[in-house]
Amino acid sequence: MDKNEIIKMHKNQIVSHLTPIFRDVFNDDTLVVTESLTAAEVPTWDSLSNINMIVAVEKEFGVKFSIKDVRNLKNVGELLELIKRKAA
Amino acid sequence: MKHAMLTLDYFALSKEAKALKISSAAKVIRIALLADCATQHLATIMRAIAARNGVQAELYEGNYDGVDLEILDPNSALYAFAPQYVVILLSSEKLKARLYASGDRRTFADETVGRLENLWGAFRAHSQATIIQSTFVLPSERAFGNYELKVADSVGSIFTEINYRLAVKARETKNVLLNDVDFLAAAIGRAQWLDARMWNMAKTPCRLEHVPLLAQSLLDTMFAASGLIVKCVVLDLDNTLWGGVIGDDGLEGIALGEFDEGEAFVGLQKFIRELKRRGIILAVVSKNEHANAVLPFREHPHMALKEEDISVFVANWDNKADNIRLIQKTLNIGFDSLVFLDDNPFERNIVREFLPEVVVPELPEDPSLYLQSLADLNLFETASFSEADVQRADQYREEAQRELTKTHFTDINDYLTSLGMEIRLERFNAFNLPRIAQLIQRSNQFNLMTRRYGEAACEAMMKDPSLAPLTLRLADKFGDYGLISVVILKHAGEALEIDEYLMSCRVLQRGVESFTINNIFAYAARLGAKRVTGHYLPTAKNDMVKGFFKSFGFEKVAEGDGGASKWALAVDDYRVRETFMTPVVNEL
Repeated sequence: MDKNEIIKMHKNQIVSHLTPIFRDVFNDDTLVVTESLTAAEVPTWDSLSNINMIVAVEKEFGVKFSIKDVRNLKNVGELLELIKRKAA
Repeated sequence: MKHAMLTLDYFALSKEAKALKISSAAKVIRIALLADCATQHLATIMRAIAARNGVQAELYEGNYDGVDLEILDPNSALYAFAPQYVVILLSSEKLKARLYASGDRRTFADETVGRLENLWGAFRAHSQATIIQSTFVLPSERAFGNYELKVADSVGSIFTEINYRLAVKARETKNVLLNDVDFLAAAIGRAQWLDARMWNMAKTPCRLEHVPLLAQSLLDTMFAASGLIVKCVVLDLDNTLWGGVIGDDGLEGIALGEFDEGEAFVGLQKFIRELKRRGIILAVVSKNEHANAVLPFREHPHMALKEEDISVFVANWDNKADNIRLIQKTLNIGFDSLVFLDDNPFERNIVREFLPEVVVPELPEDPSLYLQSLADLNLFETASFSEADVQRADQYREEAQRELTKTHFTDINDYLTSLGMEIRLERFNAFNLPRIAQLIQRSNQFNLMTRRYGEAACEAMMKDPSLAPLTLRLADKFGDYGLISVVILKHAGEALEIDEYLMSCRVLQRGVESFTINNIFAYAARLGAKRVTGHYLPTAKNDMVKGFFKSFGFEKVAEGDGGASKWALAVDDYRVRETFMTPVVNEL
């Protein structure tokens, strides 16, 4: 995905890109992705699927996260910020 | 193996793994994964790829970094799982850590290989399963730069030595196969193989996107070990083995040689010749006049493949699917062990349509890329290699030529005549004794008395004037069968007794028996014997020759215990049988 495009994107647009990824890696076709969503609320969101999610998001948006970036994430809202920051 | 052609996408496979549709009749393989890295991602992908191949993979994942403990403890869950295959997957990161901590680098390679060898031995003491040992991926950082390998105790040198010595040990050890993870990593690019972040966060053995390649490679080894292997490569000619069309462009016009496309075709041919050396049978199916198709094989200076490398050569204008059916029937192997290489998408699709089991790889447009596109599919996995593999192609060629020649003849006598058979009827001699003794020990089906004389007994027969110990050798225009029959005749007063008669089943139905019995009666007549006698002594395996004497007009004169019977026929009453072979030597 083009970096400029990501920078211009509204958060809702990014969420709509994340939704199919989350539904896939967390194996839940009805999962509703919101900015406040956390790992604790998704039973299948464990350390393994977390890795799958990170790699899939990196692939989708063409960005790379550092270990520190990943460790510090508290919820989806912070992931959105991180994606935008990495694209900048 | 066939599904290697589908894209091996990590996320697609992960998704597939969540809802595997496997028939309850699917073959099950039980795999234990022992590793010093995380195996969960790998296990998931292995299940999905196995399912694509119609196989249900039951996986046991050992405790993280618990390889030694699980193998050494006879009561571990590993043995309770009863695997068919155990994968020992070891990471370079962990090996590096051990090396950095090691007191004496000079003994480190010894210790590492010794440790693994010890684990293999301990495992074998408790399980019959096949061990699949990974190699170590060479680190991509070098403390010495290009000087690394000049220094015996550098990390790069020690890793290289360990991989080499593991390979040597594995050659010597039954039940241990290698999975060359370093090869996989190098093919991708070692710097691209590992994702250091993912290693640090999750101890994944490689980048997630490469997990499918690793999973496929491990499964390929297991599929090969369970017998799912390619046995024959069927080759198109025009624009596959050379550039251009031989029938149109002529011998000088086709592209085959030392540069450009010509060099690419030679490179492919050389790889195919290497496949033949490794025991894969080569066949040709070409839409061509036969005379045109064989011309480059016979006369082009740059052909790496020769006519004798090809076991079955079919050049005609028939449908290729029909021709491949003919080849399958001739070689008597499964369709799923055939690979068909053709540059023409139309032909590939016809074969896929009618023979869905045959493996039909896509070939790129540029012949320079043929070889790499085949290499990427790893179609030629095997779990064994022996001297017999080297010779297999030649044996099949002789047999296939006989079979194909057969199809052209409706009259079996014409066919037998066309074989140009030459037979040698010789007395036992010192040179042949080991082969004679071997044939006597091994022949079960066409063996009338099954007396199992040893080599010493055979040697004594050579000096016994009351005996005529004989061998038969057969050759035809397709090849030499060698020594194929043993007959021992005994002078017994007015009778000539057949004391032992056996023959290799490879030469049935060629009239060798008729030739033999004709000569026995001719010999009996010269001796002045009144009749020829013989016994049929039944065994569990020689039912085939129960009616042998009767078929030559012998009468049953006595019957013994367990179905044993004695037969006799007056010399004057014998009717000479027609034969289709030339006696080159007759020492009777």
